[in-house]
Amino acid sequence: MTISLEEYLIVGAILFAIGLYIALSKRNAIGVLMGVELMLNAVNLTLVAFSRFTDTGVALSTQVFVVFIIAVAAAEVAVGLALAMVVYRNRQTVSLDRINLLRW
Amino acid sequence: MSDVGFHLAFWSLSALTIGGALMIIVSRNLIHAVIFLILSFIGVAGLFITLSADFLALVQILVYVGAIAVLMLFAILLTPRAARDNEESLMRYPAMILMGLVIAAGVFVALETDWGPMREGAIGTQAKIIGESLINQYVLPFEIGAVMLTAALVGAIALARQDDEDLPIHTASLIEEGVLPPPDGDAADAPAGPGDDS
Repeated sequence: MTISLEEYLIVGAILFAIGLYIALSKRNAIGVLMGVELMLNAVNLTLVAFSRFTDTGVALSTQVFVVFIIAVAAAEVAVGLALAMVVYRNRQTVSLDRINLLRW
Repeated sequence: MSDVGFHLAFWSLSALTIGGALMIIVSRNLIHAVIFLILSFIGVAGLFITLSADFLALVQILVYVGAIAVLMLFAILLTPRAARDNEESLMRYPAMILMGLVIAAGVFVALETDWGPMREGAIGTQAKIIGESLINQYVLPFEIGAVMLTAALVGAIALARQDDEDLPIHTASLIEEGVLPPPDGDAADAPAGPGDDS
């Protein structure tokens, strides 16, 4: 058995699903951000696996896209953590179950 | 592609990645969760190397482990009473079902699709080509990304900055120089506040 595209895709799918579970089920806002980061990592892994194994001639364009995804992830986590700090300063908590000011 | 070393690298790095991600779910302390997140990021960087994407592996280590994980640690340390605990909410069971469905769908699609002709052999060194295409072919997204990063960092600083609105700056400097007496209210209590928690 050789390691080819399918194995990498399965690892990416499992990593994405775990990230999804963390993002949906964690109570702490920073924990949710960790799940989002894991999902972005899984997508990057899948993209790089496609660029390595499929024979389309645009392998390095895929890697340029991955560079952009990493930049967007960095911006996202900076703003997200700043928001978590502001929420903590106002409500003394980052628990998503207790941030319910706008709940109907 | 069938040699033993490659198999060993792939399976151990996959186990590191997925095991680290699973330990984030299990660990109760949020700081431990960040450590396991770093482990998972390093596993993904190793998988990038097995996919002959050496530049991306270095970027992964640099950005995710060097910047994002440290930023998360700082955010956790700056929200002290905000429950270091990493508990799960009632969304746990629907999320578990959704996780199972996503894994099943991903495995099914990965195994059942005909992915077309496969490339043989590794890709060569890419840092030079990626850099050249960033300033030739992809120069517009590159500039947009630069503007986006600047805007995001300025926004993050503007959000996280602590405004001391009831103590204007010139008053604070006058207190420092001893012209004005220090206020007896919250300013005197403020340094003692965080120390009480530990």
